Amino acid sequence: MPAANAQRGGRPDRGLSDTLHEHMIEVDSVHKAFGRIRAVRGVSFDLAPGKVTGLLGPNGAGKSTTIRMIAGSVPPDRGGIRVFGHDTIDQGEESRRRLGYLPESAPLYPEMTPLEYLHFRGRLYGMDTKGRRAAAAAVLERCHLNEVARRRIGTLSKGTKQRVGLAGALLHNPPALILDEPTNGLDPTQIHEARRFIRELGLGRIVLISSHILTEIERMCDRVLVMAGGELKADATPRDLAARSIAGATYVVQIRRDKPGDDERALRLLRNLPFVQDLQPNTADRSTLISGWSVWVVTAKDGAPDLRESIAQGCMQQGLLVRELRKETASLEKAFLKLVEGTEETPAVAAQTIKAREESTL
Amino acid sequence: MKRARAIAARELASYFRTPAGWVIVALYLFLGGLFFMLWTLVPGKPASMRDLFMLSGWLLLPVAPAITMRLIADEIRAGTMEGLLTSPVGAAAIVAGKFMGACAFLTIMSLPTLVYVGVLFAHASPMPDLGPILAGYLCLALLAGLYLSIGVAASCMTSNATLAFMLTFFAILGLLLAPGLMGSRLLPAWGTGVIEAVAPMPRIGDFARGVIALSNVVYFLSITGIFLLAAVSIVEWRRWR
Repeated sequence: MPAANAQRGGRPDRGLSDTLHEHMIEVDSVHKAFGRIRAVRGVSFDLAPGKVTGLLGPNGAGKSTTIRMIAGSVPPDRGGIRVFGHDTIDQGEESRRRLGYLPESAPLYPEMTPLEYLHFRGRLYGMDTKGRRAAAAAVLERCHLNEVARRRIGTLSKGTKQRVGLAGALLHNPPALILDEPTNGLDPTQIHEARRFIRELGLGRIVLISSHILTEIERMCDRVLVMAGGELKADATPRDLAARSIAGATYVVQIRRDKPGDDERALRLLRNLPFVQDLQPNTADRSTLISGWSVWVVTAKDGAPDLRESIAQGCMQQGLLVRELRKETASLEKAFLKLVEGTEETPAVAAQTIKAREESTL
Repeated sequence: MKRARAIAARELASYFRTPAGWVIVALYLFLGGLFFMLWTLVPGKPASMRDLFMLSGWLLLPVAPAITMRLIADEIRAGTMEGLLTSPVGAAAIVAGKFMGACAFLTIMSLPTLVYVGVLFAHASPMPDLGPILAGYLCLALLAGLYLSIGVAASCMTSNATLAFMLTFFAILGLLLAPGLMGSRLLPAWGTGVIEAVAPMPRIGDFARGVIALSNVVYFLSITGIFLLAAVSIVEWRRWR
């Protein structure tokens, strides 16, 4: 809309050639508010082909609003989005033509069959009859829908409907795919298959997936964008992001405490080991307290060698029985929790507001 | 236009795949048959469908809202509107497609009424005059277009199909009853002018008599166009708010 467009701030030239811009999706300082609720606040990122990018965040983080702005169903209040060089507002039809979009819960027409639905989508994208037939056959095969191609969509399971939605998004072979919660409603086998499929789709394409499920993002994506409170909190590979969760290595030791003074001896031993920065009893594990085992979390200093040998050796020398000794690995979950901790929950209300507005009545 | 045709074809097919579509067909043909039996097929009366066409304004009153109530309201409720709005289809094509689908459905529904013409030609003496019958069918088409355009606009406003039905029904009822207010002391002079300009009933009478006045055709097309433009604006507003 011109009003929204007029308010958009232009991103300064970052030295990229026009050709490069034409192969990217650029989200530039976008803001979106619904009434007094600021759903998205100054989010910027670029998406290049050949990578699967995950948009991760708790429910109501502003993920769906961001995705809808890219897909062209919600306009940004400020900032701008360009899809392969086409502004989503000024050149909306051009930008939408280049996207395959699967909305959350894949809304479909229950009275149609998957084959009819695909032909309908093909006609909306201006495909001719021959092209539609070939493309529909290909995506039905690819999404394993041949068996249900002529059954009413209303009679299909949720997971199959989701695959029909995905087939619809893929039909016109778009250079960019935007998938909002793509594995919603799939059973574990289908989820496994969908992950493999989405990774394949990422070859040579832009794929943006929104999810609040960490394992989903960890297994499918080359890059993670973490959103919380309407803001972009992190932009990194899953491994880099997970590595941020722990500054120094962490070790968990479970030691027998059958004699009085065992806890004190363990405390003294672990605290005095070289390279130990911090030592905390793990009081969260109540079962060990009852059963006579104490759990200690040892944090090593940055650059410390592996402490497992010295911990085991020290315990042996002190006559302490060790049941478990493990080095904690970096986890995306921890990194995620750190990032979203303490963020506002208002966008959750915003998501509801969008839904309510879509269904708004007089 | 290709995209509008795709939407129209999907819409038309969906009418015949849902029980609601067949209920509408049954209602229309029942009312049409009843009116034909009561006002046209009367012994001793001249063989003319004039009365039937005069009543077409009332015949379509419950039918048009029933046809249009789901058109866009259901897409909004079910979330499929997002699929349309994020495809390379403009608001005008969406509205045109929905309108064309509804018109096509009403046209197919009306085909059995040609039996009435056949009955008149087979049994009436003297033979009926074909001119007023053709003019009457033209009037029916224009009136249906007007009613359906009101329904399309109403259906864009809400995700509740029942509310869309009510809005359309009362808007059409208002148009039909408005001439009754003319001459009332409650109505200012300019109000009478407005009613004369927008009320369809007097124009339907002209068509039923076999008179095809250009002004009447322009009237129907203009009002239909205004409601369709309003529908396009509402869809645009939905996309960009």
